[in-house]
Amino acid sequence: MPEQIKPEQIKLTVSHAPFLHNGSRISKKSYNIILAAMIPVVAGILQYGMPAFSVVTLAVGSAMFWEVLMNFITRRSVSIGDGNAAVIGLVFAMLLPAITPWWAVITGTGLAVIIGKQIYGGIGGNPFNPVAVAMVILMLSWKDLFDFNTALVNYSFSFQPVYPLVLLKSFGVEAVSGISAADLFMGHQVGGIGSTFGLGLVIAGVYLMVRGYIRWEISLSFLAGIFATALCFHLSKPDVYASPVFHLLTGYSLVGAFFLATEDSSSPVGFLPMLIYGALGGILTVLIRNIGAHIDGVVYAILFINLVNPLIDKIRPKASKRVIYYA
Amino acid sequence: MIKRSFFGFARPSLSYEAIPETQPEPVVVVPREKIVLFIPAPCAGDAEGCAKPGDEVAAGEKIVADGNDAVYAISPVAGTITEMTGFDGIKGNRMTAVSIDVSKDSDSKTDDGFKTYGQSPTLETAATYFGFLPGKPDFTPFTQPGRKIKSIVVMGVDRDLKCITNQHVIKTAIVSVKTGIEVLRKITGIQDVILVVPENLLQVAGSAGASIKAAGSQYPTAHPELLLKRLGADESLEPESSVFFTAESVAALGVAYNTGRIPSTKLVTVVKKDGSLRLVSAPIGTRFSDILATVAQMPSSGDRVVSGGPLTGEAVYTLDYPVMPDTDTIVVQNSGDIVHVSDTPCDNCGECIRVCPVNVPVSMLVRYIEAGEYETAEEKMDLMACIECGFCSYVCESRIPIFQYIRLAKHAVAGMNSAEE
Repeated sequence: MPEQIKPEQIKLTVSHAPFLHNGSRISKKSYNIILAAMIPVVAGILQYGMPAFSVVTLAVGSAMFWEVLMNFITRRSVSIGDGNAAVIGLVFAMLLPAITPWWAVITGTGLAVIIGKQIYGGIGGNPFNPVAVAMVILMLSWKDLFDFNTALVNYSFSFQPVYPLVLLKSFGVEAVSGISAADLFMGHQVGGIGSTFGLGLVIAGVYLMVRGYIRWEISLSFLAGIFATALCFHLSKPDVYASPVFHLLTGYSLVGAFFLATEDSSSPVGFLPMLIYGALGGILTVLIRNIGAHIDGVVYAILFINLVNPLIDKIRPKASKRVIYYA
Repeated sequence: MIKRSFFGFARPSLSYEAIPETQPEPVVVVPREKIVLFIPAPCAGDAEGCAKPGDEVAAGEKIVADGNDAVYAISPVAGTITEMTGFDGIKGNRMTAVSIDVSKDSDSKTDDGFKTYGQSPTLETAATYFGFLPGKPDFTPFTQPGRKIKSIVVMGVDRDLKCITNQHVIKTAIVSVKTGIEVLRKITGIQDVILVVPENLLQVAGSAGASIKAAGSQYPTAHPELLLKRLGADESLEPESSVFFTAESVAALGVAYNTGRIPSTKLVTVVKKDGSLRLVSAPIGTRFSDILATVAQMPSSGDRVVSGGPLTGEAVYTLDYPVMPDTDTIVVQNSGDIVHVSDTPCDNCGECIRVCPVNVPVSMLVRYIEAGEYETAEEKMDLMACIECGFCSYVCESRIPIFQYIRLAKHAVAGMNSAEE
């Protein structure tokens, strides 16, 4: 029989209020995002085969490696457990063509994790979306890597093997008039590993929005921004500008709405700011596509709205006034 | 532990505990060996009129620590003072802990000081005798210079989650509440008394002789300031002119005038390790060890015991900690159920912003506080608007001790302000 412990010998845990927690944590959010992203990613792997699989695994693995390396260099606690680095790697891979050289993948995740996130102090400190930062640097440095038509030249598809946005940019709206929206939605198009299967992206996005891991305000206003702006262009000159549905289902539109624009640290938190932020992203995307020089405007648009995020997040309701009596 | 809702797009919500239809009678706890009372003033030692170790006290006798007659404790039992030591509260407020050895026949000696004063209730007798009533009524606003009180709000709702103390008072002692309200009207001269109760107790409360208002069921709507804002729309209630009393303290006032004795038994909701509730009735000063032993909830090492509600209470480090006049809840938690804070920085998810009842930009505020920029936090980030409900910490996915940060910053700002004066 063990000796009875006296009340004064019990060492209680002492901490501060509150003593309840809803159990949420960053790792749960990350794993849910990874889970949801699996739908379009697996579809991409099925379409592009082993090369796509190796790009995805290399991207996730190298992103986590860079994170640990930076933890080690900056002498901080190891933070890959929160899953954020894996999410960065995975989302980055979703944007890449299946045939991306290994060095480009590793460089890209390195740029995303180090320059995009860690130099600002890690999670929560980055003013820009790490993936968008890496993408833009890569796109400006090695333009040819993101020429989807050349990258995927060795594949034979059951559909027209041309990147729809290139087709639109180079040959005008008539060239894409034969592509049906249903085909685009079902992933019968050329593009990034995880950014072509519209149905899968929508399912993933709806799941994440319902669970609250991404904010519906941002995603939906982003899509609404694309739709409304493209509609305006289309209505004004239907023979020059493509339909809004085409813009929604091609390029990085959906992946941008559900995985890029919603990145917590670089997006606003207020209701109205989130709507403005998303809508602005959508508008810019179409402006860049229709008027600008670039083929797809999503990553540039995301970087731009990241830039204005701190400003628009200043729009907030007034805090309640208080009368305080000091005893 | 309450889990995050599956549907995360909606605003998180927490509900107050509603007292069940049938509730077993509170367990009566008798203090063993000794009790501990806290006097909210530092111990002055040998000053005139102060209690000293070795003094005999009678049940109902006032104990003064620093010669100031307005700051005191009232012993619920007869016994001998064994120790008087200084004790620092959570924000550095200096108190005196008085240990009293309980006499075998603890009710034998009673102090009748109140009986003679009790016949003609005035604000003065109230301040002299009721500062230690269960529920801790506060009469200072009535005498505060520059403040004109117009209405009294009696809270038949509980401030924190998992607590049914005041609801139980409304349910079982509405007659005493009624007497208490009459006494309050008599001593303050204020006729406008509002009794706030949960929806399910509206009928019971109807006989209390005050205007009855229903409180919301969602945390933290029963917070006095939010309540005022809600009621204020049609009642022209303002924080400057309103005073709050708990239903328990008003009922205790009623009992005091009916019986001529100052009640000293506190009703406490014990939240057991499995989350179920048990009401306990114990004299003020009863140590937690006596209460938890009676309801078979003795913690083991590593567990957590909280004095006060689960969102706003204080964890105690010893089971010698006593029931105080305003201890409505004691929470016992298994070590396995404790969610620890982390050093992960804010990732700007915005949950805190969505739950804040007073629109404080919590995520930005916390960055300023972490950097020690308390003045900017006060001027630009509405630090002082916080009503300290603790909801932001409850939903924080980075598990930042936001609530503690805010309290620390407020304390620091208050210190800076008083230093300037």
